[in-house]
Amino acid sequence: MLGDSGLAGKTVIVTGGSRGIGRAIVELFAAEGAAVTFLYRAGRGAAADVVQQAAARGHLVVAEQADVRDPAACAAVVERCVARHGSVDVLVNNSAVIRDNLLPWLEPRELSEVLETNVTGVFNITRAVVPHMITRRAGKIINISSVAGAMAGRGQTNYAASKGAINAFTRALAVELAPRKITVNAVAPGLVETSMSEQIRDRAGDRALSRILLRRYGQPAEVAYAVVFLASRFADYITGQIVYVDGGFKME
Amino acid sequence: MSAAITRAEVEAVYPRVANAVAQALARDPAEVSLNSRLFADLEAESIDLLDIVFRLEREFKIQIPRGRIIEDARGDLSEAEFENNGVLTAAGLARLRDYLSEVPADNFRPRMNIADVPTLFTVETMCKMVVRAMRAAGA
Repeated sequence: MLGDSGLAGKTVIVTGGSRGIGRAIVELFAAEGAAVTFLYRAGRGAAADVVQQAAARGHLVVAEQADVRDPAACAAVVERCVARHGSVDVLVNNSAVIRDNLLPWLEPRELSEVLETNVTGVFNITRAVVPHMITRRAGKIINISSVAGAMAGRGQTNYAASKGAINAFTRALAVELAPRKITVNAVAPGLVETSMSEQIRDRAGDRALSRILLRRYGQPAEVAYAVVFLASRFADYITGQIVYVDGGFKME
Repeated sequence: MSAAITRAEVEAVYPRVANAVAQALARDPAEVSLNSRLFADLEAESIDLLDIVFRLEREFKIQIPRGRIIEDARGDLSEAEFENNGVLTAAGLARLRDYLSEVPADNFRPRMNIADVPTLFTVETMCKMVVRAMRAAGA
């Protein structure tokens, strides 16, 4: 970019970092020289692979198994991270689940899993991190939203509601933390080539592509670039914003 | 009810409390005194109070539960006797005045909102908060 992003030596926490967009975010921060701790819920093998590949490049990446739905587990991960690195400079709330179903058929479990992971989980980890940022009068929080927060497809009432909540949470927290110079922004990806969006891409096919101005799906790294930009010193004057990384979704 | 907090207990913690307050508010420690009011004199905002509490918890290795002051001040009064829709009753206000004895009496306004109680806090209030938490931890 324009030279030094200011991220070398910074401490970054990423939730849901073992796969897809989260993994790309972990890898890009690590490449910028940040010390990255990521949370993963399941998939120990994938998490170990991220750590191993980072280590091979000489990057500092730590994996922590924790479910963001558990506030005590979130607090413990944050405290261990602070003990290791002395602070938390950047938090990326990335972990989320999709349980698509038409509203009348939506199982209570499909609603609760989505809201508890995508919304309550964000509250849990953010509440554990914010005190550290407040006392240091610095910090950057980036929430991964989705185009679904504004324009969802069929069967996405639960997921769309969770991402709409994240957009509102982002703006409200930006107001609350601005006096302490902590910025809070969101990145809203469109259809990105990950295993999580595979079903949607398969189901919607050409119909989905026809709604994307750039006529292709996004790559995880293309979302990570926006996240790392918002965490960098180049974005010090940006807060309360939702940045769409969606190839121009539904603009035609 | 636990024993009253002594002047010696307050003075023992005061230097470290004053330091935490000064740091949280980015002020010169000389501007902070035992009877400084956090909001009116030191221009704190609500987020600064959080910062002060976080710093005290770390400095003294204690836990300061949120809302503890209101709970302690209420004592054996029922919630309805203490407040009505977030507004302090006359009995509630009297209890609070006793509990926050370090706050000048004319700072308490009738029909005060519970959410505004922290605006009364002085540096001594924070000292007493620390002493109570240390006692609770058996330190």
